[in-house]
Amino acid sequence: MINFALEVGPTATPEAVMFWILAPIAVAAAAGMIFAKKAVHSALLLAWVMITLAIFYIAQDALFLGIVQIVVYTGAVMMLFLFILMLVGVDSSDSLVENIRGLRPASIVAAVGLGGLLVSLIGRATLGTDVVGLSAANSGGNVQGIAEELFTKYVWAFEVVSALLITAALGAMVLAHSSVIKSRTAQRDQSIARFRGASLANAAGLPSSGVFSRHNAVDVPALLPDGTPAPTSISKTLEARGDMLSSKPFELEEKEAEED
Amino acid sequence: MLTSPKLDYALLAPILIILATAILGVLVEAFIKQALRARLQLTISLAGIVIAFEQLYRVRNQGSSMAAITSVSIDGAGIFLQGTILVLAFVGILLIADQDHFAPQASALPGSIEEAAALESGRAQTEVFPLTLFAVSGMMLFPVATDFITLFVALEVLSLPLYLMAGLSRRRRLLSQEAALKYFLLGAYSSAFFLFGAALLYGYSGSLSLNGLTDAIHGGGGNDVFLLLGIAFVSVGLLFKVGAVPFHSWTPDVYQGAPTPITGFMAAATKAAAFGATMRIFYVGLDAAQWSWKPIISVIAVVTMLFGAIAAISQRDIKRILAFSSIAHAGFLLTAVVSLNQSGLAALLFYSVAYGLATLGAFGVVTLIRDSAGEVSDINRWLGLGKKSPLIAATMSLFLLSFAGIPLTSGFVGKFAIFSAAYESGNIYLVVVGVLASAIAVFFYLRIILMLFFADASNDSVSVVIPPLLTRVAIFLSAIVTILLGLAPSILFDVAQNFAYFIR
Repeated sequence: MINFALEVGPTATPEAVMFWILAPIAVAAAAGMIFAKKAVHSALLLAWVMITLAIFYIAQDALFLGIVQIVVYTGAVMMLFLFILMLVGVDSSDSLVENIRGLRPASIVAAVGLGGLLVSLIGRATLGTDVVGLSAANSGGNVQGIAEELFTKYVWAFEVVSALLITAALGAMVLAHSSVIKSRTAQRDQSIARFRGASLANAAGLPSSGVFSRHNAVDVPALLPDGTPAPTSISKTLEARGDMLSSKPFELEEKEAEED
Repeated sequence: MLTSPKLDYALLAPILIILATAILGVLVEAFIKQALRARLQLTISLAGIVIAFEQLYRVRNQGSSMAAITSVSIDGAGIFLQGTILVLAFVGILLIADQDHFAPQASALPGSIEEAAALESGRAQTEVFPLTLFAVSGMMLFPVATDFITLFVALEVLSLPLYLMAGLSRRRRLLSQEAALKYFLLGAYSSAFFLFGAALLYGYSGSLSLNGLTDAIHGGGGNDVFLLLGIAFVSVGLLFKVGAVPFHSWTPDVYQGAPTPITGFMAAATKAAAFGATMRIFYVGLDAAQWSWKPIISVIAVVTMLFGAIAAISQRDIKRILAFSSIAHAGFLLTAVVSLNQSGLAALLFYSVAYGLATLGAFGVVTLIRDSAGEVSDINRWLGLGKKSPLIAATMSLFLLSFAGIPLTSGFVGKFAIFSAAYESGNIYLVVVGVLASAIAVFFYLRIILMLFFADASNDSVSVVIPPLLTRVAIFLSAIVTILLGLAPSILFDVAQNFAYFIR
């Protein structure tokens, strides 16, 4: 078995080189994620940030965490995210109108303030202090160590997480699944309805729209032989939208017919 | 080779029974015909709660044991809170049973043809029953968990179903969906704070358990920045859940948007669970560092009491009024937390029962007052209701008087217990502010009662629907307990006192 645990001490040179190459890229990608105009670019940059973090984890002997970060976050979560962006439409953009006046400057000040506070406090607490306990935690192997904790000490919490997963699945069903309330009429049903209906007028299908050679469009009802328009010939949606034209102007007039 | 862990299933059984019932409910959703579901789900849920309570009663004397490899501590306060949550869940389910408050199909767009068709077909989203039970299981675990991983998992298990159910209201769907989204986003944000805090406390103590934290504080030598940041962040997560002031902004919107039975259940049971966990974290884990958190939590308690009481005055919507009143009550309960003594814990236990049942009853009454378009929560249209239906108006008044802390109701005893615990611990200023806030609160509670009884009915016709049997039972139970605990508080107070201890 490969032993990934390095001796704990000052950062080894290869690790330092890797850090100074990857860290600026990660920061640039994170900044790009915020400033990118298109949602897809943001998502891809975020995936890149996650991959870099995973490499850092692995370099710091957290092998399991690194792999999980790639498989779960980058692989599953971010790709789902991308799918959803694609489904919603790559071109759709959020409205950037501020509902509350001065919200943006206030939130920038608050975010920078909280971030600065945290960075300075945690920096003061961690910089210059030695790392302890890593080799002890990794003594039996990184994955084995996590497995032991997960299946002995925290097994109860691990089991209770199943309730969370069931809730999530049930919740997704409640919010997204719509069961069929009225069964849709299939071709067979429509055919039966045509021939067993009160009249056989529509047995050959509904009339198609438009007035022959005058206005052959979907928004004009067809004219029946007796000169009346046939409302069944155009889509109900057009009618509801009010996009229907009258077929009167396209009617053949008596006179013309006689001249012919 | 790993040694197999010993979980002590007998002590965990109440939680496991609720979880099993919830999963049974999910199976019912999958395999049973729509027409039979609602009744079956109701029966199963109520039976599960009763059985869990029976098992809890059986282990009540083993109240000094750790279970699940010290992840869970079954102590007096834990057992009492679990019992409280089960009782509140029972009454809550009775209210939820009236499916008229839930969207027939949550996935249908508000105002769409599908929604109308679903409404016409008489469907019901009976998934609320298993969802409620999942929330109950999380609530039962939250106050007994003793390490931060279990605490976090319990927090999520109790929150996720509540986020979902907040969006299932039948009427005013957009408001309900907005409430659900708002609750979900802010809740996720506060959970992240809680988790970050847990990580920092781990960095301080090298242990995730509350006992390990105390040992590390006693031992000293840890990095104090981690301790202080950790306390701050964990507190943010907890204070959000209880709705204390800087983190309260979700409360009125969510209370207003969620289906009323869910609002009642959420207000009553979440408060008991979250305050139980808060109490345990501060008493067991952070007692030794009390000088770092006591001042700021005291300030938050003061601000919360005053803000809740004052902000409620200008509201017109009864659900928003009750939301601001719940914020004020969170302040009173925080006073009990800050007392850091046994009588404070006993007071909190008593208060969570008294407040919880009164809340469920009050929201139960709100579900009954309707016009042709559904519930009417605008109190200006409640004018003169006392003349049309005196019984309902009197019951509502009883609950409001209990919230206000008028003697002979359970609310008075609860408040008295909390203030005397605060006095005992020497926090006189908290007592003064608490009494002041109660006095302000009495104003708007009494204003509603005056509107009910001493104003002439307006033309907008509001009627009280004939209550469904189960709603009637729920309101009746709540009212009886509210009066009983006001007249003879010792029935419950002695029990609370006996159970008011944590083990380490």
